[in-house]
Amino acid sequence: MTTRSRLIIATFALLITSAGFAQSEVRDAEDPNEVLKIAALEALISAPPERALPLVMKVLDANNTNEVKERALFVLSQINLPEAQNRLLDVARTGDPELSAEAVRMIGIGGNKEAMAGLADLYKSGDEDLREAVLEAYMIAGDVAAVNAIATNASSVEEFEAAVEMLGVMGAIDELRALSQDSGYTEGLIQALGIAGGDDVNATLMDIYRNADTDDIREAALEGLLISGHDEGVLELYRESDDIEEKRDLLETLGIMGSDLMMEVIDEALAGGA
Amino acid sequence: MNDDTLILYYYNDGLSEDERRHVEAAIHSDAAVAARYDGLCRQLNGLADVDTPPVPAHTVQRWHDAIDREARLERGHVQQPRQRAFSGFSFAWGAAIAAVLVIGISLTMTGPDPVVEMPATTTSAFTRGVQVHFRDTYGQLASMPIEASADRTQLVLQIIEQNRLFERAAEQSDSDDLARVLRAFEPILVRLAAEDITPQEAAALRAQLTFELNVMLTKLSRDSSNETGTATTGIKT
Repeated sequence: MTTRSRLIIATFALLITSAGFAQSEVRDAEDPNEVLKIAALEALISAPPERALPLVMKVLDANNTNEVKERALFVLSQINLPEAQNRLLDVARTGDPELSAEAVRMIGIGGNKEAMAGLADLYKSGDEDLREAVLEAYMIAGDVAAVNAIATNASSVEEFEAAVEMLGVMGAIDELRALSQDSGYTEGLIQALGIAGGDDVNATLMDIYRNADTDDIREAALEGLLISGHDEGVLELYRESDDIEEKRDLLETLGIMGSDLMMEVIDEALAGGA
Repeated sequence: MNDDTLILYYYNDGLSEDERRHVEAAIHSDAAVAARYDGLCRQLNGLADVDTPPVPAHTVQRWHDAIDREARLERGHVQQPRQRAFSGFSFAWGAAIAAVLVIGISLTMTGPDPVVEMPATTTSAFTRGVQVHFRDTYGQLASMPIEASADRTQLVLQIIEQNRLFERAAEQSDSDDLARVLRAFEPILVRLAAEDITPQEAAALRAQLTFELNVMLTKLSRDSSNETGTATTGIKT
């Protein structure tokens, strides 16, 4: 056996043990031992799930750094066995905050129904970071209904806006429109619509802008148009407006969007036909 | 004295006579080294019973690289810079979106969704397409300039757009597992695209992504090997 292959096998074997000589200090990301452990974890996915699972469990139990454990959690998310999903839920419930949030993300990636069902309780009992992680896990799993339920039952403006923002990311336009029936178009809802984008949304944002009761709502609608990239709509609003300040804002928005239409507007303005 | 040196000493291999004497002296004079060596001996004595899974060639290569790097470091006594542990979750999703907006590039769907051409008509063809995407992304991230935030941002935004196409393709081809993984990459990519993160934070995010990409490549290779009975390889780093 060559020196190199002995080192490889020995290092791998040491990784999978939970022996007490695992070093306790926080390791550098470039620490060769850390690099080897992470490379070994990468390799585990090539093993049959039944064989990989106990090894990943041992990595999580051993005195490894959070970085190594986070990598182990990802491998766990790709092992389609109930024990793997249960362990993810355990870490999400009881792990340190960093690992807990990562485990929640992995539950989203795994998409296992039972594990996903456990996220609702975690959301209720979790702090802001964990709640954010749960929302992100729902996004990853494509669970629009769960995010919509959070928005519907939100007990604070912040909670509501975080949920509707995620609905926007998920492109859940119907749910966003339905929420507006109860609360009207709030700034958060308008921004989320912009994130979702699409022709229907652009038309809605134009209506909201034109009929806005307050400057805040008008600004939110303009921001929504900016996010959705609807430069033609912004140009249309520019041409409709007689207010110099408003025109300046709209022109500025076209500039931020990097729109070619801005040159058209500049040309008109310089020609005095604005 | 690191564990690898003690392992070589244990196997009586790879060390010069002087090095062996140095290790021997350390074991006898330093109680901490002796304790570590005892622990290693106990573990290594049981190695014959360890049934290790097959390791892909690219991973073995990475191990080799890591060992070579350590050897170079030991020879040159080069001090590696410390990298701060970083939690990707410390970045608010909204703030990351806003950071991207500031540079004037919309990440969001503009107008109708792009039409995604499904490769051929089979799932395996789609899977091969995803493998190419993962490999390309891995290569782009590996060569990405961490320090130059503007260049990094531009590159990552391109990766995000490409990733979204595959997200939609995965949804359309009912590849739910892959769709979830592809969606999971996006928040990390968005954080990596932000210009206000430190090079250390960017490096940590890149390390996370490259690990996850490599795991997925290995898994997809394993699955296709199982289906066809042929061996395939992932990324050679």
